[in-house]
Amino acid sequence: MKSLKVKRSRGERIFTVFNYIFLSLIMLLCLYPVWYVVAASFSNSNMLTQHTGLLLKPVGWSTDAYSKVFRNPMIVRGYFNTLFVLVVGVTLDIIMTALGAYFLSRRRVLFKKPIMILIMFTMFFSGGMIPFYLNLKDLQLRDSLWGLILPFMISTYNLVILKTSFESIPESLIEAAQIDGAGHVTILSQVVLPLSKAILAVMVLYYGVAIWNSWFWASAIIRTRELYPLQVILREILMQNDVTSMTTGVGTMDQESVAMTIKYATIVVATVPILCVYPFLQKHFAKGTIAGAVKE
Amino acid sequence: MKELSLFDKVKKDWMRNKSLYIMVLPVLIFFILFHYKPMYGAIIAFKDYTPALGIAESPWVGLENFSRFFSSVYFGRLIRNTILLSVYSLIFGFPAPIILALLLNEVRSKKFKGLTQTVTYLPHFISMIVVTGMLVDFSMTSGLFNDIIELFGGERSPLLQNPDLYRTIYVASGIWQEAGWGSIIYLSALSGVDSQLYEAAQIDGAGKWKQLLNVTLPGIMPTIVIMFILKMGTLMNMGYEKTILLYNPATYETADIISSYIYRIGLLDQDWSYSTAIGLFNSVINFALLLITNKLARKCGETSLW
Amino acid sequence: MKHRKTALLFTMAMTFALAGCGQKAGQEQTTAATSAAEGEQQTQTAGEFSYPMQAGDALTYWCELQGTVSPNFSNLGETPFAKAWMQETGVTIEFMHPPTGQIKEQFSLILADGNLPDMMEYSWVKDYPGGPEKAIKDGVILPLNDVFEQYCPNITAYLKEHPEVDKMIKTDDGHYYVFPFIRGDEKLCNTIGLMLRQDWLEELNLEVPETIEEWHTVLTAFKNEKGVAAPYCPEWTRDDFKDNDPFAYAFNTCRGFYIDDNGQVKFGAIEENYKNYLELMKQWYEEGLIDPDMATLKFDQVSAKMTNGSAGASMGFAGSRMGAWITAAQGNEPDYMLVAAPYPTLEKGAKPEFGQMDNQYPGTASVAITSSCKDVERAARLLDYAYGEEGHMLFNFGVEGESYEMKEDYPTYTDWVMTNPDGWPVSQAMSAYIRGNYNGPFVQDLRYLEQYYTIDQQKETPDVWGNSNAKSHKMPPVTPTSEESKEYSTIMNEINTYRDEMVLKFIFGTESLDNFDTYVKNIENMGLQRALEIQSSALERYNAR
Repeated sequence: MKSLKVKRSRGERIFTVFNYIFLSLIMLLCLYPVWYVVAASFSNSNMLTQHTGLLLKPVGWSTDAYSKVFRNPMIVRGYFNTLFVLVVGVTLDIIMTALGAYFLSRRRVLFKKPIMILIMFTMFFSGGMIPFYLNLKDLQLRDSLWGLILPFMISTYNLVILKTSFESIPESLIEAAQIDGAGHVTILSQVVLPLSKAILAVMVLYYGVAIWNSWFWASAIIRTRELYPLQVILREILMQNDVTSMTTGVGTMDQESVAMTIKYATIVVATVPILCVYPFLQKHFAKGTIAGAVKE
Repeated sequence: MKELSLFDKVKKDWMRNKSLYIMVLPVLIFFILFHYKPMYGAIIAFKDYTPALGIAESPWVGLENFSRFFSSVYFGRLIRNTILLSVYSLIFGFPAPIILALLLNEVRSKKFKGLTQTVTYLPHFISMIVVTGMLVDFSMTSGLFNDIIELFGGERSPLLQNPDLYRTIYVASGIWQEAGWGSIIYLSALSGVDSQLYEAAQIDGAGKWKQLLNVTLPGIMPTIVIMFILKMGTLMNMGYEKTILLYNPATYETADIISSYIYRIGLLDQDWSYSTAIGLFNSVINFALLLITNKLARKCGETSLW
Repeated sequence: MKHRKTALLFTMAMTFALAGCGQKAGQEQTTAATSAAEGEQQTQTAGEFSYPMQAGDALTYWCELQGTVSPNFSNLGETPFAKAWMQETGVTIEFMHPPTGQIKEQFSLILADGNLPDMMEYSWVKDYPGGPEKAIKDGVILPLNDVFEQYCPNITAYLKEHPEVDKMIKTDDGHYYVFPFIRGDEKLCNTIGLMLRQDWLEELNLEVPETIEEWHTVLTAFKNEKGVAAPYCPEWTRDDFKDNDPFAYAFNTCRGFYIDDNGQVKFGAIEENYKNYLELMKQWYEEGLIDPDMATLKFDQVSAKMTNGSAGASMGFAGSRMGAWITAAQGNEPDYMLVAAPYPTLEKGAKPEFGQMDNQYPGTASVAITSSCKDVERAARLLDYAYGEEGHMLFNFGVEGESYEMKEDYPTYTDWVMTNPDGWPVSQAMSAYIRGNYNGPFVQDLRYLEQYYTIDQQKETPDVWGNSNAKSHKMPPVTPTSEESKEYSTIMNEINTYRDEMVLKFIFGTESLDNFDTYVKNIENMGLQRALEIQSSALERYNAR
């Protein structure tokens, strides 16, 4: 490989410099709002509201907001509910999507096309919000965390991506396994999946992030507050100014002034865990997809 | 050669692929239960749905709900806003992750590349609720965006109250949130491009630009086309979540879209049948768009969805 | 091509197969409704009854969980208040709550599926499209006339004593439909008004403004002398604040329906007076007297501005706004003080014609028994308890010896409530033991407010804000007939959306007020006349009750 290192032209070098600068700017753009939230959450609320201009570090260090957030009994419960939906949900999502994708990636199957159309059709045509809800009610999935898992097991979009990736696995590998007498379940679990680690990591992230951040259906179908996932509580606090009621009081001095920072602290608390998962999965991305690794 | 009868074909197929069909069964059940069954429920669009009577027993009203929508004073505006917002999202939002992936692909330092990836994915992990909350804060007269505008000599103004800026804010924040994440797919497609092709191109003396046009882009074109078709089919599916969190009466003029209207009618005003009718109309348009795009893609190249 | 056709056939077959399933669901619902009706028939004579009732099935109760409860309790059932209520009545209640701010959404979905909790606390008259009579006709809630008569001696007695409330909580057809939230004193009805910085007024040698002109002077002084960015900072995102805009009231108009001097229903937002109001707002906005971000301001931002000196005047409640801001701001700025301003007028010394005033039955937080209720009698008796002597004390003052003590016949909140040892604000501590500080199915007691308002400026508010002829212009809780309701809500949805949008454009100057006539014409074309007819006949029916 080294021998192929060709001298880079001037144009290329200029490009490289600009590329680095441009990407660094983009990074800044992505990072700053996040940093802003973190800095704001550790700020003194009164000083924060009077602060103008860019916020580079917390103004007046304070962790009051965090102690307020963790005093709310719902937050911890919300964590556990989200965690349950996340673990069970992602597991089922991956299994189901893999089954579907494997089927659709096989050749010489008579009903593959009709089934593909049947599946694709749902991506563009849906019954709508109300019929979807009425269906959940018929299936007794209201007011249950399963109602947040089962109806969302397969995202057609992800299914298509996984199918495309499975198709790029050399047919020869599968045929070889078949000659060895392996059934489809064995091929899927012993040959296809191990070769698709990278794309599976992407799937886990796709599904995981979607589950972590979803709130609408949870807020629509769950009526027992003890079952609220974290995002619903986060939304209560953010959108409805619940902070205010969390602290509105006549009599206690410093209550109100924490309100602004509570908002940001809640954001941090609700976002950090999912960020922590990411580095574990990232190393899989770096490896690239199967298509590059195996060559016929 | 004699044609096999359909029955024989099915029988032969079943013998060969029995275990495959069993594997796909749960998937089919899922789609029937959670996608096709609600589609049956969509017949309430042609009815006056009354919960006490249930879906089946509610009286038919024919196309009344549809004609009501078509004759609504907001019909034209909703359609226009939905189309414009999605077209802008497509024009600016679709190439963004591709460009980002291409730029990243040119980075040699593994560390820098990894860092950039990690950081650009970050916004995706932030929930919509938080993103819109920040946007509203930042757009205030005293907010961050105005700090920056003032820095460059502009004048402070309430940005989210200006209907002319709404689409820009909507689309730009969408790119900010999703471009990095969207680049994952393209990056993995890029890593799949055969490195021998590059070597060959280099030997031929092709510069970076030539390599991009002749090797890289053709290499990831199938991915791009598939993604494009998928996007087109969901063009009209602009989610209501972001809209309802971001708009206010001052920006309805450009902000109100079909899905936010459905949300208001169906959930706030309890007009279930009417909102389902509008949703159905939306789906039909989506589907038409998909068919058109797919046909075009098939005409122009090899790749299509089916 | 062939394949595609097969798929289509398959899909169609699926659709028909599934049609069968839906039918069954419909039948189940009908059965549920009949069994509820049967439950009504197991009667017990009212005379022998006493609390607590014998143990029985738990009842489900759907209501909003107040923001002052949620920081400390994840469910109303965990509060000492609810525990005492359950113990006294002998009924186990399972509380269900929608997420804050998603009340309408969840309500709508619960109704859509037809499988309802036993009791639902909601704003039935305002937020059920078509109103309560429609809710009865739709088979959602039960008419309560027989129920009141058979099981509810307390509320029946209250209504006999208060015919004006009795009139409000009936439909045009004479049906009772809820266990209402009632403000027990007119002083409790004046809840919203203007407030501004008293310390600044004194510093600048200004009086509390009474006329529009004086307001202009004061706000300009705040801007120029105090360097305030946005002197008047209203929480414009709240509907009840917009409905009761004091500056529109100064022009004897408002954005919605009101009753004019001749007892006719009028729609304010299309009147010449309203145009004058918009002109004023536009001028103030241009002069920078109104917060430039007003269309997006939410409570937390208004609070921040009011407490850190970037705004000098606002509107809102005496408790959760005025009191909260005073106590919060005094931490940094001991001189900080807010004072209530009366509803402004155009001429000095005139009594305001318009003003904010809640109906004694505001329509909010009232409990209906649904058609799915398993045991109507238990539910009715549970709810009726609140309107009796003991229930009244529990809902307003909590548990004797814990949250209040009787001092010279006056229920006085304990220190646990007023200066909570765990540092809870008063409103949170109160919410653990009572519902008096927000709302619910009971009669609110003035003695709660006398203790809740701790600052003199707050205590003045009912008198300052209450000085107007608001009562003669306020629409009572009227409802369209169930036939008209859909038409009415379609018309008003379009009109309201359009009006809200245009009002902001007029104020911001993005739409010239020269186009006001076009705006009026557009609203008329959307069917305003028909909406007015519906409202007028609803008012006639109401007056004839």
